[in-house]
Amino acid sequence: MRAAAEPQADDLILSIREVKKHYPIREGALQRVVGHVRAVDGVSFDIRRGETVGLVGESGCGKTTLGRVIAALADPTEGGVHYNMDGMMSRIDRLEGKAARAFRRNCQMVFQDSFASLNPRHLVIDLVGRPLKVYNEATSANLIERVVELLEQVGLGRQHLYRYPHQFSGGQRQRISIARALALNPEVIVLDEPTSALDVSVQAQILNLLNDLQKERNLAYLFVTHDLSVVRHMADRLVVMYLGKVAEAGETQAIFDSPHHPYTRELMAAKPDLEADANVEVRGLEGNVPDPARPPRGCRFHTRCELATPACGWEVDDVVRWLEDAPGMFEHLVGVERQTDFAARLAFDSEEAAGLLSMAVRSEQVPEAMRAAMRRLNLDGDKVEIEFEDVGEIGLTARDDGRMAACVLSPEEVASWKRT
Amino acid sequence: MTDTSQSRIDAEGMTADTAFRVRMRRLFGVLQGLASNPATVIGLVIIGLMLAMAIFAPWISEPNSPDPYQMPRDWGAVRKPPGTPGHLLGTTNEGGDVLYGVIWGSRTSLQLSLMVVGSTMIFGTIIGSIAGLVGGWVDEVLMRIVDVFLSIPELIFALAIAAMLGPSFGNIIFALAVVLWVKYARIMRAQVLQIKQHDFVDAARVIGDSKLNIYLRDILPNAVTPVTVQATLDMGNVVLIGATLSFIGLAEAGIAEWGVLVSEGQAGIASGRWWASTFPGLMIFLWALSFNLVGDGLRDALDPRTEGR
Repeated sequence: MRAAAEPQADDLILSIREVKKHYPIREGALQRVVGHVRAVDGVSFDIRRGETVGLVGESGCGKTTLGRVIAALADPTEGGVHYNMDGMMSRIDRLEGKAARAFRRNCQMVFQDSFASLNPRHLVIDLVGRPLKVYNEATSANLIERVVELLEQVGLGRQHLYRYPHQFSGGQRQRISIARALALNPEVIVLDEPTSALDVSVQAQILNLLNDLQKERNLAYLFVTHDLSVVRHMADRLVVMYLGKVAEAGETQAIFDSPHHPYTRELMAAKPDLEADANVEVRGLEGNVPDPARPPRGCRFHTRCELATPACGWEVDDVVRWLEDAPGMFEHLVGVERQTDFAARLAFDSEEAAGLLSMAVRSEQVPEAMRAAMRRLNLDGDKVEIEFEDVGEIGLTARDDGRMAACVLSPEEVASWKRT
Repeated sequence: MTDTSQSRIDAEGMTADTAFRVRMRRLFGVLQGLASNPATVIGLVIIGLMLAMAIFAPWISEPNSPDPYQMPRDWGAVRKPPGTPGHLLGTTNEGGDVLYGVIWGSRTSLQLSLMVVGSTMIFGTIIGSIAGLVGGWVDEVLMRIVDVFLSIPELIFALAIAAMLGPSFGNIIFALAVVLWVKYARIMRAQVLQIKQHDFVDAARVIGDSKLNIYLRDILPNAVTPVTVQATLDMGNVVLIGATLSFIGLAEAGIAEWGVLVSEGQAGIASGRWWASTFPGLMIFLWALSFNLVGDGLRDALDPRTEGR
C-alpha cells in the first residue's frame, strides 16, 4: 500500500497509480457524450514478487475492468499502471518495441470463462504452444516437448495434445488456460475469477495448483474475485473495491479479523462461514449498488451503510433516491433545480406535497444521519429548498495499525458496531 | 521433429501427423452431417453430375467451330424435335443443337458462378473485415456505401450496369460482381464485430500476438461459416440472375448459354416447339435448386450449436 514502507525496487513488479477508467455514455443520432460510467475511479496499489493480491468486491464494482487495465487489454482514462523494468518504473501504455514485448511476456491473464477464452478451432498444442511460437521460444522440433512439459505442470499430459477445448471438462480447460499463461514464464498473472465457473471440488484443485505453481516459480497473482472464501485461502493482501474506488486495503488476515470499513464488514457478514457460530445470522447487503455513471458524493457507500454519519457526504441525490422509494411522494415531484450536488430546490405539483416532504424529512422516516447532515431546509410555496455540506472526497487514509480504509469512522467505531 | 521426440511419440501411439488426422476427422464430421440429410445428398449428386458435364464437355459434345462457346449452326436441320438423329434434344429456329447448348451451357454457368462468387466473396470479406476491425468512421463510410448498394434491387441494378456496358457475357459477370459483394461485406462485418468480443481474442492479445495473426488465426476461421453458406447459395442464384439477364438479350447472341437458349426457343413454344426452351430451362432450375439444397444442408452441418460436439 502507499502508506506502507517504501517497497524494495527490485521486489516491486507492478504499481497501479490513481487508475481511472471511464466509459462514455452516448445518446442520440449524433452520439453525443452525455456522461461517463466511472467503472474504475482512482485506484492505487502495488503488486510485489511472489505475492497474491486479492481484488474483491460485488459485481459491477470495477474489479474486472481494473484487471483488464492491468493486463493492458484496456487503456486507463487517467493514471497508469507502472511496470518495474530493470529497476525503472515505466507506464505500460507508453512502452514501445522491446520494452512493450517484455511487459507483455511478463504479465499474463487467465479468464473466468475457460470455454470462451480458448479458440474452439485450435487444438491444445496450438493453444498452449502459441505464446512459444509468438516469441520464437520453441522451434518446430521441440515445440511438442515444451508443450508437454507445460501440460504436465498443470496436471495434464501428452495424451491431451491433440484435442479440442470442447472435449475437456471445465476444470481441465482452466488448466489449459493456466498452462498457456505459464508458457512465457511470466512474473505476474491476472486471474479474473478463475474458479467461479467451476464446481467446488474442482475449485479447490485449481486453487491448490495455483498455490503450488506460485511457490515453484515465485509468481505474483492478482486474484480478481467476488468470493471471499477463495481470497482468504489465496491472497496475502486484499484490496476491497466498491463502486470504482478502494474501500479498504491491507493484509488479508488482518482484514478478516477486524474489517475497518463497514462495507467490508457487510461483505463478510453476507458470506456464510462454515467455521463461524451457527447462531450468527447470515444477512446480505441491503439496497442496490448506485449507478456508477453518477456515484454518490462523499463516501460512495453511505447510501447503503448502516453506520452512516452526517459527515459521510450526503447530497441532493440522497433525498431524490429516498423520494423514489417513498410511497405517494415521487409522483408529486415535478423538477429538481440543482445549484450544486449539495444544494437544490425540489419543485412539487402542490404546496401540500411540498409541505409533506418537508415534514417527512424532519421526521424519523429518513435516515437520522441524513437529517443531521441537512444544513438548510426551507419550505417555499410548492418548492422545498435543501442544502447539505460538501464534505469532499473521503479517500483512503492510514489507520493506527498501518492499514488503509476509506471511512470517516475509526476502526474501533466500526468494530464496536452491533447490528440491531 | 528430432529423432528422439519422434520415437517417443511413436511409442505412445502418436505420429507427427496426429494434428492433421484430428483436423481431418473434424472435417469428416461436417461431411457426415451433410450426408445425413437426404435433400443435401440429392443436391450434391446433381451438382456432381453437372460439374462432370462442364468439365468433360469437349469430349461429350465435340465442338466443330473455332469458338466452342458459340452454338454450332446446322442450317440443314432447323426446328427438329427431340429424338432426331444427331440432334438428340432437337434443334432451335437457327439450327442450333439443344444438347450442345445444354452441355456447353453448364461450362458457361460454372464460369459465371465461380468468377462472380469468387470475386464477390473475397472482396466483400475484405471490406467487411476492415469495417468490423477498424470501426469508427471507416466502418461508417463503408457501411453507408453498402446500404446504397442494398437499397437497389439486385436484378435491376445488375441489369442497369450490364445494359450500360453493352451486351456481352463478360459484362454480365462484371455487373453481377459489382452488385453482389455487399452481402458478404455485411455478413463478414457482423461476424467480425461479434467474434472480436470473444475472450479468446483477448487471450491472444495478452500473449502479445500481432493483429494480423489474431485476425487470421482467431477471427477469420470463426467467422467464415455464414460466408461459406452464402457463397454456396449464391452459386445457384448467380446463374439464375445471369440467365435472366442473357434471356433479355444482354449476352452476345448465339452464345451457348442457358438463358440465351430459353430466349431463342420461347417464340416457338406457342407453335408447339417446346424443346428449345424447356431443356435449358430445366438445367437452370436444377442448378439453382441443387446449390440451394446444399447451401441449406451446409448451414445445418456447420451450425455452431451442433458442430464438433
